[in-house]
Amino acid sequence: MTEAPSQAVGRMRVAESVALAVAALVLTAGIGALLLLVGGYDPGAAAAAMVRGAFGSWTAFTSITLVRSVPLILTGLAVAFAFRAGVWNIGAEGQLYAGALAAVWVGLQGAALPAVLLVPLVLIASWVAGAFWALVPTLMRLRLGVGEVITTILMNFVGIYLAAYMVHGPLQERRGVFPQTDAIPEAGRLPALLPGTSLHWGFALSVVLAAALAVVLRYSRFGFRLRAVGASTEAASVAGRIDVRRVLLVAFLGSGAIAGMAGGVQISGVTFALYEDLSPGWGYTAIAVALLAGLNPVGVIVTGILFGALQAGAGAMQRDAGIPAAWVGVVEALVILAVLVIDRVRRRVSEEHS
Amino acid sequence: MHGVLGANGAGKSTLFNVLGGLLRPDAGRVEVDGQPVTLASPRDAWRHGIGLVHQHFTLVPRLTVLENLALGTRGVAGRPAAVRRATRELMERTGLSVPLDEAVEGLGVGDRQRVEILKALQRDPRILVLDEPTAVLTPGEASGLFDLLRDLAADGRAVALVAHKIDEVLQASRRLTVLRDGATVLHCLREETTEAEIVRAMVGDDAVDAAALGLGRRVERESAGGSAASDRPAGSDRSASRDDGGPRHGPQPADGPSVVASLAAVRVDGRGGPGLDGVDLTVHAGEIVGVAGVDGNGQRELAAVLAGRRAPDGGTVHLCQAVGFISQDRSREGLVGDFDLTENVALAFHRRPEFQKGSWLRWDRLEEEAEAIRGRHDVQAPSVRTLARNLSGGNQQRVIVGRELAMAGELLVAENPTRGLDIAAAAFVHDELERLAAGGVAVVLISTDLDEVLALSHRVVAIARGRLQEVPGDRRSRKGVGSLMLGAETTHD
Repeated sequence: MTEAPSQAVGRMRVAESVALAVAALVLTAGIGALLLLVGGYDPGAAAAAMVRGAFGSWTAFTSITLVRSVPLILTGLAVAFAFRAGVWNIGAEGQLYAGALAAVWVGLQGAALPAVLLVPLVLIASWVAGAFWALVPTLMRLRLGVGEVITTILMNFVGIYLAAYMVHGPLQERRGVFPQTDAIPEAGRLPALLPGTSLHWGFALSVVLAAALAVVLRYSRFGFRLRAVGASTEAASVAGRIDVRRVLLVAFLGSGAIAGMAGGVQISGVTFALYEDLSPGWGYTAIAVALLAGLNPVGVIVTGILFGALQAGAGAMQRDAGIPAAWVGVVEALVILAVLVIDRVRRRVSEEHS
Repeated sequence: MHGVLGANGAGKSTLFNVLGGLLRPDAGRVEVDGQPVTLASPRDAWRHGIGLVHQHFTLVPRLTVLENLALGTRGVAGRPAAVRRATRELMERTGLSVPLDEAVEGLGVGDRQRVEILKALQRDPRILVLDEPTAVLTPGEASGLFDLLRDLAADGRAVALVAHKIDEVLQASRRLTVLRDGATVLHCLREETTEAEIVRAMVGDDAVDAAALGLGRRVERESAGGSAASDRPAGSDRSASRDDGGPRHGPQPADGPSVVASLAAVRVDGRGGPGLDGVDLTVHAGEIVGVAGVDGNGQRELAAVLAGRRAPDGGTVHLCQAVGFISQDRSREGLVGDFDLTENVALAFHRRPEFQKGSWLRWDRLEEEAEAIRGRHDVQAPSVRTLARNLSGGNQQRVIVGRELAMAGELLVAENPTRGLDIAAAAFVHDELERLAAGGVAVVLISTDLDEVLALSHRVVAIARGRLQEVPGDRRSRKGVGSLMLGAETTHD
């Protein structure tokens, strides 16, 4: 790696950040449309189907778009938090599965408990498991100096296949038919946020968490230290006398806990059971979510909803316009590339002017 | 064989980089065999038969010695057997022997240096240019290298050599050039000069200084400092006492100045350097202690210990609490480029309780402090919201100096605080250090700029190979300190 991830997107004012995101989206839309044309599809029809699927009705917006945005917001926050500290956590996917696994297990074990206890326990379990999943890469980085990019990616596979093994083996449902766990009891489930929709309290929790992270990063002593370490470990340690390793430890584990919470919230708010392919790669899409938001937690809410809409619209696009839903994956990758390219061009231009 | 001598920063490496095609001269021309040539790249230099051995290694660590040597060849690069044969021959002829199939990363510095020299020799240069080739060699290896260089010269090749160890260059070279502050101050045959004369030329004594430079640096600095310099209270008697060459004393309270830092038999194991080897130093309130020395003699370790950033491996350290530290590496260690002025001020100030409220920082107070520093030190920035990376180097240094002065309740450690600054910016820093000391704060000024050390310090110590040596008052001249910091033995006039 040639630069810290916090510098993957340079320091920006909010307005610059928004302009960058909009420019990236315009560029992505242009290239995406071009690709569709090359593939023989009608970009206009694709866009129409996508908007209809994501925003076409109140139900579509709340029950599909917003519900899908919750794990994206949470994993996006996990990634943004780590990146701001200079930690390349590419392991949100594995941490999410670890969190989901712990949430299901606690939910099933605590069947006798009342909801006031069980819901918090389920969520706490997912934090702890997510942080634990980040612990191996953390120790390897802090003790042995092993770069976390590779280790966090590898831990993803361990997490994904561990979950797969559990739903085929020890945690498989009692009926023994499908490779999935039993559903956690009613008392372990997050209540609905809006009556009549499937939007659950996890959405509210994500928004509150994003706001809290924004305030902590901006105003608190720890948040300042984390940003300093992310921007320059040398200056943080020499001029700031900051204990860099301690900050990194908290950033790693905090990021893991937030990603784990994404798994816990998904179990407790949406699926109630764990199965293979619980996540369609949220932990990876999270990188696009975080970068497009300029690593700003409040921005992550917006970009998370945007990507939620993209995924919600993908189904409609496949159904109505015959375009494979996999195309959305291409769009997600294009967004990351567009953000990086535009940001680099922007910085080069501003350097030439100064 | 031509020896080039000069203290640190005299311009030796710059000169050799011009010869190697790594730097293009802003003015003047380079001639090879009497013909003016343009050396725009290392390839041009090679075409004219100039082979440069760098001070810093330019080998690929993961590759074997043979592969590294093959990188420097053309035509036979694809044929390892041919490279091996050619290299064997070269090793035999030169007596330089290295294990060909070892990865370079597994080799010691001596072997790496030999590979570096072989790499230059394999293209059979007519002019061999070596930048500090003996810096990492043992005395035995060094004398072997000099034998080889003499043989090469006897073969009709030209050899140019940089070193800051005088005796080595003296015994090897037929012709000598001494550089100081980027200009040639002495150029002669070996037998036409003496070691004493060379030392004098390298560090410059006051007489030579005034004659050679006309307007001395300090003179320029005074005038550039303008009114700020002239209303400095200690200004005039400072320069007067410097002319006497006598020792000067800082403001000392009647009951004796209090000790703010003391080091006793401090040892620090250096990584790739001498570290510190039994250092004793006592620093009193209100004095400026200048530490003079050539780069890489333990200054970084000394600064780290004094700033409380590194625990010594041996010996005892007593430090006061309120220490400010001006790092020589301002863009990397002193500031965060992506932080604005307030945040950069907060970098140091966020530790102080009056800027905290529980787990939160008092950003209103931090911003006031940043504003105060910006006003007090005349930082040219539109506002305290300006990002540090948008400031000039001099203004960045003003922010750092302002911040660290405010942090330095009892002690300020300044490491090459004016390196890379223009005259006005350097004058600003000097004034601030003096003002701070006048206010009763101790200052340790660690600098490779001898002029700076002599002009500002109440007390001077020389640092060489990790050891400190107090410079007595009667030896406080460029020559006296210079010979101590160069490690030369001819220190008695």
